[in-house]
Amino acid sequence: MSTAPLPERGGSLTEPFWQAAEEGRFVMPRCSGCARYVWYPEEACPHCGENEIPWVPVSGRGQLFSWAEVKHELYPAYEDTLPYVTGIVTLEEDARVRYVTRIVDADPAALAIDQPMQVVFRTLAFKGVDGEVVAPVFRPSAGAAPGKVDE
Amino acid sequence: MTTSAEPDWGHSGELEDVSGEIAIVGVGDAIYQRASGKSANEIALDAIERAIADAGLRPDEIDGLMQSPFMGGGFTADTYRDYFGTGQSIWMSTDGGAMTWAATAPVAAAQAIREGKARHILNLFAVDWFSQKGKGGEGPGKYHGEERMKANFELPFGWFPQPVYFATIARRHMFEYGTRPEDLGAIAVACRYHATRHPDAITRQRPLDLAGYLARPMMVDPLRMDDCCLISDGGGATIMTSLERARDLAKPPVVVAGVGEGYSGSGAYWSQQGDFTASPQVFSAPRAFEQAGVTPGDVDVLTLYDPFSIVALMQIEDMGFCPKGGAGDLVADGKLHFDTPGLAYNTHGGLLSHAYVLGISHVNEVVRQLRGEAACQVSDCEIGVYGGYTGHMASTLVMRRDR
Ligand SMILES: [Zn+2]
Repeated sequence: MSTAPLPERGGSLTEPFWQAAEEGRFVMPRCSGCARYVWYPEEACPHCGENEIPWVPVSGRGQLFSWAEVKHELYPAYEDTLPYVTGIVTLEEDARVRYVTRIVDADPAALAIDQPMQVVFRTLAFKGVDGEVVAPVFRPSAGAAPGKVDE
Repeated sequence: MTTSAEPDWGHSGELEDVSGEIAIVGVGDAIYQRASGKSANEIALDAIERAIADAGLRPDEIDGLMQSPFMGGGFTADTYRDYFGTGQSIWMSTDGGAMTWAATAPVAAAQAIREGKARHILNLFAVDWFSQKGKGGEGPGKYHGEERMKANFELPFGWFPQPVYFATIARRHMFEYGTRPEDLGAIAVACRYHATRHPDAITRQRPLDLAGYLARPMMVDPLRMDDCCLISDGGGATIMTSLERARDLAKPPVVVAGVGEGYSGSGAYWSQQGDFTASPQVFSAPRAFEQAGVTPGDVDVLTLYDPFSIVALMQIEDMGFCPKGGAGDLVADGKLHFDTPGLAYNTHGGLLSHAYVLGISHVNEVVRQLRGEAACQVSDCEIGVYGGYTGHMASTLVMRRDR
């Protein structure tokens, strides 16, 4: 029985992310050879071939790359959360890293591309699916002017 | 055409140049207004029967069958022989089908014909998704939800299924290039304009103008209902043979003039594609046009695999019909309509308004245009193009009238 859309737990490439999230830490895989982030995770670094790719903490600050507001039921497990905002945030450490995330605590009409965003941890649960997961999601940075990075 | 060097986020396929070698000689579609109650194979047989009749062939003259590399493969040589009561041997290939393969099937077909493996090859595709939906089937979404990285890093965040990907892409495209809702609307309206003039189209009785489009509810903001494809039952079949043989058959041959194929380096992870607001047509279309010896400006009719309006808009740009970001001007003011000067686009209605048969009817529509048989006939139609897309791949098929 699939537990989707909860993440599959236990995969060697993915479990460290979810383990860290449970502890309130937002981590990303970073190559020990070339220091590039490897997202999505891979066994070997696509940039230099290195196999040593430890998960390292990141600041949780980023910019809103794009988003969508889902208003219509497309997938039964999401029904209870409609309407919701989901999208992509790029990391402050490296804007080439695109992190797909829920956007929370935001008025969709007030969102703007490239605005500063901040990680926050939320427990995600879905209609008709047993279990839950703590996940790093993003909200607009408090008090930040659009276009400026929240320090 | 784009002036910059080929970007680094994908690459071109290495397809053999078969331009001028083969022709399309028969087309058949089987489109249903609602759940057909038929299986995909039964739908395919309906389409095949029509394509064979269109070509003026007998069922026992078909000796090659091409279908999709995924989605069943449940249509066998015996399915064909049992239905038609024939006994010929049939060369089978999974290099065909719809989506991108509707454009690239002619390459494998040309090779098989050249090597004497087959003479009259039928490419087919059919889906029963509307009927399956009624039975609790999962439709197209399930092919994406099962992928591991999506399952871990996209589904938990609600970034699923396809309308969500393309709404996110559309918003970023709007930011980067100033694309407006009206530009997406022009694409949806053009499809509907043609569908309401097409006997097969599922939306033929549901006209839509730009004001009506803008008034429709958002599905996934910024995509409205009419930016998103239909789900339906249907199928199509396309018959190919050597150009020499084609000249003896019932209908004027439509020559395969160029084929291209391009790949995104990020596979099926839309979120990670190097250029988030482009399609792999960047890597596909130039080679197809080069083989055909034509430029986008020579094209009389264009059909594009259009699961969402934004996918069509990006392909129009990435194939070189306008500079990147410039599609808004190209699609405005009815310029995509068959009876208005401009670029006649999806003259059967496309996935948005004709039927969700994943591109095979798009190829068949171009064939009918080049023969002068289309419901929305473009005048003096000599060069037609189909652009296929799957996300990680795009393909381009340039067709022309026989000289
Ligand atoms: Zn590396």
